[in-house]
Amino acid sequence: MADLVDSMLDLMRRLPPTHVEANVAALVGMCPDYADDLLGSVDQPLKVMVDRATGREYLACDYNRDGESYRSPWSNEYDPPLDDGTIPSPKIRKLEITANEAFDTYREMYYEGGVSSVFLWDLEDGGFAGVVLLKKSLNPSSPSEPSGSWDSIHVFETAERGRQAHYKLTSTIMLSMMHHPAKGKKGDEKVEATRDGDVTLSGSMTRQTEQDHSLQEQTSHITNIGRMIEDMEIKMRNLLQEVYFGKTRDVVFDLRSLDDLEKARRQRELQKELVGFIKR
Amino acid sequence: MDAEERIQAASKFLLQSPPGEINDVLNGDEAARVPGADSEEEDDRFWDPRSRTSFRFDHIALEASEPEPIEPEEEAEPFRIALEIAALTYLSAHFHGGVTSVFSTQGNPHRFTIQVVANKYNPSNFWSGRWRSEYIVNLQERKLEGKILLNVHYYEQGNVQLSTTHAVSIELPPTISSSNASASASKILAVIESEESKYQASLNEAYQDMGDKTFKGLRRALPMTRAKLDWDRVLGYKIGAELTANKGAFGSS
Repeated sequence: MADLVDSMLDLMRRLPPTHVEANVAALVGMCPDYADDLLGSVDQPLKVMVDRATGREYLACDYNRDGESYRSPWSNEYDPPLDDGTIPSPKIRKLEITANEAFDTYREMYYEGGVSSVFLWDLEDGGFAGVVLLKKSLNPSSPSEPSGSWDSIHVFETAERGRQAHYKLTSTIMLSMMHHPAKGKKGDEKVEATRDGDVTLSGSMTRQTEQDHSLQEQTSHITNIGRMIEDMEIKMRNLLQEVYFGKTRDVVFDLRSLDDLEKARRQRELQKELVGFIKR
Repeated sequence: MDAEERIQAASKFLLQSPPGEINDVLNGDEAARVPGADSEEEDDRFWDPRSRTSFRFDHIALEASEPEPIEPEEEAEPFRIALEIAALTYLSAHFHGGVTSVFSTQGNPHRFTIQVVANKYNPSNFWSGRWRSEYIVNLQERKLEGKILLNVHYYEQGNVQLSTTHAVSIELPPTISSSNASASASKILAVIESEESKYQASLNEAYQDMGDKTFKGLRRALPMTRAKLDWDRVLGYKIGAELTANKGAFGSS
């Protein structure tokens, strides 16, 4: 039934990103047998949870979920508590702790706020995989303040080959921004008018890369993946800027022209006539 | 989920479909085993005031059939025609393709609806867009009430959508009256033209604002240091901090 899951994924690619949670829930309701396939393939906005042991915020997604519980990267505990929840091996957990500290620094440098979490898991062939999550939200206290959210989901897999390691990185960034123009009348108008409205730009983009890097020690994995994710986020931020602020705006101005098209048409006709006149 | 709930969920999907992609969304719905929506509805009839024809419309096949002539509302028709002429002029002045219709209101010869729809589909470049606006002209209340809705979908290796709403209520100048149909209709469309151009220009401000404040506020292009992170030092800092802490612990013993 790969076709059915593909159809559902195609549907999610077309429906408004702002309603992704409700739409995924509706699809899961329609086809409960494919819930796991769908939840594992559709990126949804990250949930912010609070670690009960440390009081620190962390991020929840499908990768740190076991049943109905989520594991905190700070205390390694599940919430709600699980006795037999999946946890990484001691070696990988040690790396996970270091990775969380490193990406916490990264988060502060680039996001100046927000929340980060890194989750690692052992792979059957002896390697490991992981996900780096970053989230920042701007929650306005008044409608005129900026409102928006940024969710980064970087999933990676690594395989060691002697002093080298091969990395495969899949990065998804979900970005949404809301603009609420100042309400009401404008002073310079001859007619009495009231206005209200908003502008929403939202969506997600996904990119992949595969790279080899040298490996001196276990923590080299973190510096390698750190650099790969940093480069990817810089590249994707440029791409998002281009698509959100460039492409969507171009389409609007392709639909409607600010200049009078009739006038331009007449001008062209006139020019043609003149050229013909001169040639004669 | 029972059949009724499935139809409801599927209808919601269809209503959310991006411009020109309703068939793709419908295919997704069918794959999710939603019963066919082609129920035996009798009143799927619409009318086109310009050709004075009513017809049946099949929403799945997107085909019109069974045309029948209709008589326009006698009292409202002259002003409706005047609005239609002015609306068509406005459409060709500002829209690259697009459709406009003007409808009178049954039982109220002073109330008219003007609609504008412009679509652009470019599946080979993964985008589509739609501009919709609708205005209710009420000559008795001297009011023009309208809304503009914009949707843009960009879906090359992603799914990015622009969605806007804009509602406006404008008082019509006293010179506008049904006895002065042609000039009044031109004036009404001039008000609409000015409103839509102003709105389009204000979108530039919205883009500017979101780029300068929201986008930059969410994630910096580079850290304050204007350089990428030194990852060896990022790990080193932490190790350094631990060493210091340990030293402190040893020192006090």
